[in-house]
Amino acid sequence: MRSTTRNPVAPAGWPLETVVMTVTAPVLSDRYRSAFDTFLANRREPDAITRSRRAAFERFAMLGWPTRQQEAWRFTDLSTLQTIDLQPPADALVDATALPNLASAAHRLVFINGRFAPGLSKLAHLPEGTFIGSLNPHPNPSPSEREAEYQLDRLPGLSQHPFAALNGAFWEDGALIHLPRGTMLETPVHVIFYATGGDRAVYPRLLLTLADSAQANVVVEYHGQGRSLNAPVAELHLGDGATLAYHQLQEESAQAFHLGAIRLRQGRDSQTQLHLLSLGGQLARTDLEVLLDGEHAACLLNGLTVGRDNQAGNYYVRVDHAYPHGSSQQLFKSVLDDKARAVFDGMIHVRPHAQKTDARQSSRNLLLSKQALANSNPRLEILADDVKCGHGSSTGFLDPNAEFYLRARGIGAAQARALLVYAFANDSLNAITLTPLRERLTRLLADRLALDDRMTEELKP
Amino acid sequence: MLEIRNLHATVEGREILNGIDLTIRPGEVHAIMGPNGSGKSTLANVIAGRDGYVVTEGEIRFDGKNLLEMAPETRACEGLFLAFQYPVEIPGVANLYFLKAAVNAVRKYRNEPPVDAMDFWELIHERMELVQMADSMLKRSVNEGFSGGEKKRNEVFQMTVLQPRFAVLDETDSGLDIDALKVVADGVNALRGPERGFLVITHYQRLLDYIVPDYVHVLVNGRIVRSGDKSLALELEEQGYALYNEEPGRARRVAA
Ligand SMILES: Nc1ncnc2c1ncn2[C@@H]1O[C@H](COP(=O)(O)OP(=O)(O)O)[C@@H](O)[C@H]1O
Ligand SMILES: [Mg+2]
Repeated sequence: MRSTTRNPVAPAGWPLETVVMTVTAPVLSDRYRSAFDTFLANRREPDAITRSRRAAFERFAMLGWPTRQQEAWRFTDLSTLQTIDLQPPADALVDATALPNLASAAHRLVFINGRFAPGLSKLAHLPEGTFIGSLNPHPNPSPSEREAEYQLDRLPGLSQHPFAALNGAFWEDGALIHLPRGTMLETPVHVIFYATGGDRAVYPRLLLTLADSAQANVVVEYHGQGRSLNAPVAELHLGDGATLAYHQLQEESAQAFHLGAIRLRQGRDSQTQLHLLSLGGQLARTDLEVLLDGEHAACLLNGLTVGRDNQAGNYYVRVDHAYPHGSSQQLFKSVLDDKARAVFDGMIHVRPHAQKTDARQSSRNLLLSKQALANSNPRLEILADDVKCGHGSSTGFLDPNAEFYLRARGIGAAQARALLVYAFANDSLNAITLTPLRERLTRLLADRLALDDRMTEELKP
Repeated sequence: MLEIRNLHATVEGREILNGIDLTIRPGEVHAIMGPNGSGKSTLANVIAGRDGYVVTEGEIRFDGKNLLEMAPETRACEGLFLAFQYPVEIPGVANLYFLKAAVNAVRKYRNEPPVDAMDFWELIHERMELVQMADSMLKRSVNEGFSGGEKKRNEVFQMTVLQPRFAVLDETDSGLDIDALKVVADGVNALRGPERGFLVITHYQRLLDYIVPDYVHVLVNGRIVRSGDKSLALELEEQGYALYNEEPGRARRVAA
């Protein structure tokens, strides 16, 4: 970072993180350290960034790879990943037709194996002071780039996350989105991270700063082919009164490993909607840490996992209510076929002074096979006494009565089941207000569930 | 069009239907009456093809075809309709989509193209008026949060849109006030014609004031113990089922 501040001082209200050393953390092989030294030697960047990389690496060295003995990783099976000889990222050519499109007008940033691909990206005219582009430091940063970069790696939370630490050490590039105070960006920002497999470990980054009262609509997509480890970190800073709709679509290949982290900090009166859809990967986990860091901050977290075969999808969510009158609504759903597994671990933490908090959490799982498995682990830590907090979870199979009802009206058995599954899942997609994205995801879901063409016609919202 | 011969059926290993014989010709309306637990819904479910109802003897032919060999959806596509005694709620599926999917499923079966959007819209609106259903019910999820009366009305609405050749109405009148009852009757009477047949299951004779049946059958303990014309319904209303030696405790469960 080009900041002159060495150790950014956390603003008041940020949680104090205590780092716990565990005796079970495996001794890290020297391989990572020598890889890191080589990596650093090849980067020319400001000292501040080098320092933050070193700090992140030391954090990783201390944490080591997670083990199943650690509560936070008990349900995440990394044994296959651990046997893979992971390679550093490399350049690759990807045909533009392999990449998804949103609205034609969208600002588009494409990263291949974590590296910015200007030829595949497209930036329309931007309002004064707004920056959308690559995070990679370059010699002449604009004031807004500089301002935004001060924010890199400054959000609290996920300090115990080894893959976020690895990302902090090894990130090569990422998306930087900065909107100055009061800027309303109506055109969506479309960020695509594409991985080309080859057992590469890719650590893409995303840094978004919305200054007070700014508004943005962001769509982040993870795609790819072959086997790779994708461990992205997204940091989302919202100033007072800012509004963000953030969409994450994970549709990587069936061999991919996705271990991502999102940190979100919201100022007073700010509002976010996070829509998280996970379809791909053999293992896809997203850890999400939300800090409601001002009065009347509100967030909606809407997650959907669709899994089949041996896919595993995990969401680990922690919402920290630090100020009064905050609101958080979490709805995480999964649809699991074959031997697919889903984990939802959700913590609502309400600090002593965060009175009038309204925090809801719900986890609903639909199992399509007897071998599918869903784990819900809701947790509440409520230290204020005047709050509304609630959580619920349900896991079940398709309702045979509903299936018969549809069949009795002429709809074939397979279509009837697909329709019921679709209805369950589409509920989540309906909450997305960005129409071109919602329509695309609706089609994607219908394809995935093999709904008859004619049926899909009927179901168009 | 529907011939039931010596039908025996079990549910969970228990014999509920003990040899039913019933022939319904095109254009006829038959009513089945009987005490709770006598097997009326079982008969309806066997006709519609619900899982868990095992036919141990006898047969059902629909236009000469072996109905019992057909999957439930095939029966529906062949023109059979069951108005459920307890319509099912289906969250997330809008009533309108559901109906269109059903209409198109039947059309696909007949190798017809999907229904024209305008034609469908017109039909829907005409039928909604007939059953006095509010526009808002189209957008709501199928039966979700509907009152008992709305659910029954929705069954009749679906029937009038799908225009089956043979419809079974399982206590569609139960729990309805007189106005709602008339709506049900209007729906049936609108479809009534020389090509269509109806089996109207009811507990009370008052529905039969509005849907005048050609035949009335009394079902007790899984058997048709008596058949007659509509005057039989009035007789039952006055005398109850006690005459028909109902064996207490057998095949009896209130509101199955
Ligand atoms: N799905 C079912 N599971 C268990 N028992 C059933 C089921 N359906 C019907 N029965 C039993 O079969 C008998 C007849 O029930 P039903 O056909 O519903 O009678 P009706 O409709 O005449 O009131 C009752 O004793 C009932 O308990
Ligand atoms: Mg009944």
